[in-house]
Amino acid sequence: MEKLLFKDIDEPGLNTIDVYRRRGGYERLRKALAMPREAVLNELLASGLRGRGGAGFAMGKKVSFLPKGAMDVYLCCNADESEPGTFKDREIMQKNPHLLIEGIIIAAYAAGANKAFIYIRGEYVLQADILDAAIAEAYAAGFLGENILGSDHSLSLVVHRGAGAYICGEETALLDSLEGKRGNPRLKPPFPANQGLYQGPTLINNVETLSTVPFIIEMGGEEYAKLGVENSTGTKLVSISGHVKRPGNYEIELGMRSRDIIYGLAGGPPDGRKVKLWFPGGSSSPVLTGSDEDLDLPYDFDTMAKAGTMLGSGAIIVVDDSTSVVEVAYKTAYFYRHESCGKCTPCREGTNWTLKMLDRIRKGEATPMDLDIIASVCENIMGHCLCVLGDAMAMPVSSMVKKFRAEFEEEIERRRQEADLASAMPEPELPLIQGAVA
Amino acid sequence: MPRPEIKMITFSIDGREVQAPENTMLVDAAKYGDVEIPVFCYEPKLGQPVGACRMCLVEIEGIPKLQTACSTPVKDGMVVHTQTQRVHEAQEAVVEFLLLNHPLDCPVCDKGGECPLQDISFGWGGGRSRFVEPKRHFQKPLELSPLIAIDRERCILCYRCVRYSQEVSEDYQLVLQERGAASYVATFDGHPYVAPFSGNIVELCPVGALTSKPYRFRARPWDIEGAGTVCTMCPGQCNVTLTVRDDRVLRVLARDHEEVDDGWLCDRGRFAYQSFHVDERITSPLVRVDGELRPVPWDHALDVAADALKRAGGAVGALAGGGTTNEEGFLLQRIAREALGSPHLDSQRAPVDRRSLLAIGDPGLQATVPDIEYAHAVLVLDTEPVDEMAILDLRIRKGVRRRRVRLAVASARPSALDGNAALSVRFAPGGGPAFAAELVAAARGEAASDDARAVVDLLRGAGEDVVIVASERVGAALAALADALGLRDRDGAGLIVVPSSANGRGLREVGVLPDAGPGLAPVARPGLHAAEMARAGAEGELTAFWLHGVDPLRDLPYRERWEQALDRATDVIAHAAFLTEGIREHATVVFPVEAYAEKDGTLTHPDGRLQRVRPGIGLQGRNRYGWQVLADLGRRLGLELRVLTAGMALAEVAAAVPFYAGLTQDEIGGRGIRWQEREAASAYPRPEGLPDLAAPTVREGAGLRLGTFRSIWASPEVEHSPALRFLVPRQRVEMAPADADRLGLGDGQRVVVSANGSRVEATVTLRHAVPAGSVFLQDGLVRDAANTLTGSVVEIRPAVTSEVAG
Ligand SMILES: Cc1cc2nc3c(=O)[nH]c(=O)nc-3n(C[C@H](O)[C@H](O)[C@H](O)COP(=O)(O)O)c2cc1C
Ligand code: SF4
Ligand code: SF4
Ligand code: SF4
Ligand code: FES
Repeated sequence: MEKLLFKDIDEPGLNTIDVYRRRGGYERLRKALAMPREAVLNELLASGLRGRGGAGFAMGKKVSFLPKGAMDVYLCCNADESEPGTFKDREIMQKNPHLLIEGIIIAAYAAGANKAFIYIRGEYVLQADILDAAIAEAYAAGFLGENILGSDHSLSLVVHRGAGAYICGEETALLDSLEGKRGNPRLKPPFPANQGLYQGPTLINNVETLSTVPFIIEMGGEEYAKLGVENSTGTKLVSISGHVKRPGNYEIELGMRSRDIIYGLAGGPPDGRKVKLWFPGGSSSPVLTGSDEDLDLPYDFDTMAKAGTMLGSGAIIVVDDSTSVVEVAYKTAYFYRHESCGKCTPCREGTNWTLKMLDRIRKGEATPMDLDIIASVCENIMGHCLCVLGDAMAMPVSSMVKKFRAEFEEEIERRRQEADLASAMPEPELPLIQGAVA
Repeated sequence: MPRPEIKMITFSIDGREVQAPENTMLVDAAKYGDVEIPVFCYEPKLGQPVGACRMCLVEIEGIPKLQTACSTPVKDGMVVHTQTQRVHEAQEAVVEFLLLNHPLDCPVCDKGGECPLQDISFGWGGGRSRFVEPKRHFQKPLELSPLIAIDRERCILCYRCVRYSQEVSEDYQLVLQERGAASYVATFDGHPYVAPFSGNIVELCPVGALTSKPYRFRARPWDIEGAGTVCTMCPGQCNVTLTVRDDRVLRVLARDHEEVDDGWLCDRGRFAYQSFHVDERITSPLVRVDGELRPVPWDHALDVAADALKRAGGAVGALAGGGTTNEEGFLLQRIAREALGSPHLDSQRAPVDRRSLLAIGDPGLQATVPDIEYAHAVLVLDTEPVDEMAILDLRIRKGVRRRRVRLAVASARPSALDGNAALSVRFAPGGGPAFAAELVAAARGEAASDDARAVVDLLRGAGEDVVIVASERVGAALAALADALGLRDRDGAGLIVVPSSANGRGLREVGVLPDAGPGLAPVARPGLHAAEMARAGAEGELTAFWLHGVDPLRDLPYRERWEQALDRATDVIAHAAFLTEGIREHATVVFPVEAYAEKDGTLTHPDGRLQRVRPGIGLQGRNRYGWQVLADLGRRLGLELRVLTAGMALAEVAAAVPFYAGLTQDEIGGRGIRWQEREAASAYPRPEGLPDLAAPTVREGAGLRLGTFRSIWASPEVEHSPALRFLVPRQRVEMAPADADRLGLGDGQRVVVSANGSRVEATVTLRHAVPAGSVFLQDGLVRDAANTLTGSVVEIRPAVTSEVAG
């Protein structure tokens, strides 16, 4: 397969404008600006490109939802990339920042936006510095600023660094954070397309989504749509991590057999071990198992949905049989408990409760009945929250309890016995919640 | 701005067809079908719903996920279910989640018995918990402020208090710290939450997480009674419910009246009830014997007072203020005019003549409180709402924030509303009437200052509906301005004139004025206004003063002259609640004045709404009703008075004020009625033209020009409420940093401010927003009040240590 996003990705100096332009960079921008806005939008619609940030919403459609009028339209690039297992946006920004910038300028042109922001997670210090340098180059070369390449399209682009909250990747929390407020999700509707940043219409897309835009312009939407499978067009960056021999980012054509990704590209688990379970789309996706049935699933949006999970951000985390499912569930819940913003009840209380129950299993203080309560609590979280962070814990945890119930029960029993033996040894407490006493 | 039209639609809820206004949130629409949907975070007074608690989940056909009823506008044909298995399970789940970490210490919780969390747990909860883990613990209770305790364990993180602080009172002090299950309510910088309207969060909190410190552990809901009345501590006249136990007021709650207070109270109104039950209250008539005020039997006090008044006759100067009711004011002026033959009556701080008052009180120019919120533009002119009519401050903020009202502020002193204003202009202290005259000129297209033109342009540019909120002292120019802006007879536009005392408008309309009788009728022989009375008293022309709810030394300008006048007067008859300086030193007879919780009477709101003040507790000590005391005095002075009840007193008022004709207590009821909306309004006297607008020119001089203001906290009720005492202001002089630099003064320095040989001590407060050349001092203080100074151009120099000591 011919690579798009990762073509020349390891070429030294690709992050500088000179090398990027020598590789054809910013020619797609020139081409787009020579087209009417509607034509650019039509290419995006024709490409069938679905958002790469997690929700998989058709990008062209999102652009077409923006109201037309005289008001300021904003574009926000979501570079918060905090979903455990996901590290693809980092590679793009670090190695090929101009691709993202070119994509942003073209998308902003289609959307009628003239103020753009890249909201990048605070930990990506290096990548933010690289982006800042690249943006300065782009301004100097006239690709950003007033009347880009002599057209009527003007765009300012600013990198905004987050302060370390997963929830700020949720699009409305991102907007609040960008506005200088506490990063809490907003009630939807209104959707950002109508009332987003500073109440203005706002297009929010993931780094990878926006970085794909130049290729759609280059190839034409229809041509791009020929890649991949129906309803999951194009190529996708997959971040593979966990128990595989060659973890990393791979660009695949959507619809590839999952086994070929995990075993073919990433080399499968270390010799002698078997895949126990895998997260197909980041830690918030319900897990699949190492069964042939699951491993043979084509890796695309619809198939994953049909299998009861999701493609999400395209982050595959592989867990082999050396690891207890209890630990995986605990780590997952720990993350979401820690990252819950606390605004809505089911997520705030439910993640905290679930974690405490899982911790009791680990400490040998649980009974199988606790598994029923965990399942029920997850059920009570799902679909009841203000944003889907609550579901992001409930879905994988409940899928693990459901698919590995027997192992959970064995672990409960085993750890109870261990705990009885070790009862004299005090376990370290869970870290105290800050601000609380006792 | 035209108010949104209400269109009724039909939707189905739990299988029944129900009519409701389109786009109301489902929670409210459901009420039209008698269906209750439980809520915690939803509170429309706080603005847009936030959908945080998830208590209100319901099923809507055609939408796969359950939806929050608090944030889903009802549409025609919607089919809603609140009683399905799915909904029940979701609601039970939310209750279970909320109770996980809740201490359930109801038996020792103030909220117990009136707690939405209790009610909803009973009504919608599953009645069990599967949570065996240790609960979350916080130190508790903590002082969120000297007035409010916070128990973070009880908090269900509904965000109401935080939203209130951020979006209603806009003091931006409350925030949520941390996140997730570790979130807790705190102040931004850890300092106490002190703000003029902080107490409202206690009422907003749906659990016992925020409790009033003065009320904590004082009563349980089953041993209290609620009594509706009206706060008389400022012209805002907020509607309140008194919590009464054993004939004592233990708490004051808002009695939500959209057209008066919007359901909020200021902290003075909420907490100063403590002053009703303190030993310092005067609860017996007093007569001065051998230089000392001594309790005496009523008849004796009445006889002494009647004799004194009779002796002075036409040389009596009578003043009314504070919470004096219409009935009391009316009787006072009748006795003065008819029995004593004295025309010297006043209820204003600064004189505004009858013709001007007639013009600015005209029904055709009257705006209502809600108009502020729906106007295209609001002009706040020469008044500081938070100090002078506190509750309006919140209403103006609401208009700007939620309905994009364009706000202009024109004042001498920087205003708390400057941050919300599209335009703020400053004039020299005392320059309000002059600036208003300039605004008139600008509105008429005549030559005017840039500032005045900018204000008029802003108002005109915003739209036709302009509401002007202005101090009474601006006077006649207000009417001219309203006319020049085309506000006459415009619905939703006009004037709201802030009087100098709580019932200033009522006192004016029942005739407590030197040049007008009841109904603003002309009088044959006009009397002296307050400032002239002081002079006349000092010169011996007036020999007795009759003070109803006023202490001139505290409440009026020209303190020195008043001291001379009261000193020289043969008799000073006072109706007072506390022995403030003027009363303590000079009164010869003191009648106790009821707290408003004991009072029976009516008030007139600045927008013309007559409201009833109703007794919630019995008369304290040996108190009598004010109208009764006056009626007794009147009879002793030979007046025929058919006044045996407060209702009969009101009947007298209604008979004498043509535009109040026929008003009864029943008609006023619990919500009040605006007289402009009654038929009798047509009897309002025709305006008789305006006096010359050639406004007084502001004196230019070398020194600093002094402006004065009276803080919301400068009142005897605050001084005598233990919980509020920490707010009692001390004198400080607000000045521009440039002036301070020039004089070599620094922030926080003790200084002496002097004019014409008079002087007060103060602490320098530097404010960048104060224009150079202006300085501001406070009035209404016990010590060092601004009215001590006899001039309006002042000098400031550092206080010498020996002076402080001496
Ligand atoms: C809790 C939460 C965290 C999210 N984090 C990210 C993120 O880090 N990066 C991202 O691109 N999208 C993230 N999303 C998805 C965004 O809300 C949004 O759907 C996405 O940015 C849209 O871009 P796309 O259509 O290009 O995918 C997150 C969503 C949720 C609910
Ligand atoms: S689901 Fe969690 S992260 Fe999302 S709003 Fe609710 S508490 Fe915040
Ligand atoms: S303190 Fe009360 S009002 Fe504030 S968030 Fe907690 S429960 Fe809600
Ligand atoms: S604003 Fe005025 S009337 Fe309202 S509570 Fe405060 S003092 Fe009382
Ligand atoms: S009342 Fe609807 S979410 Fe809180």
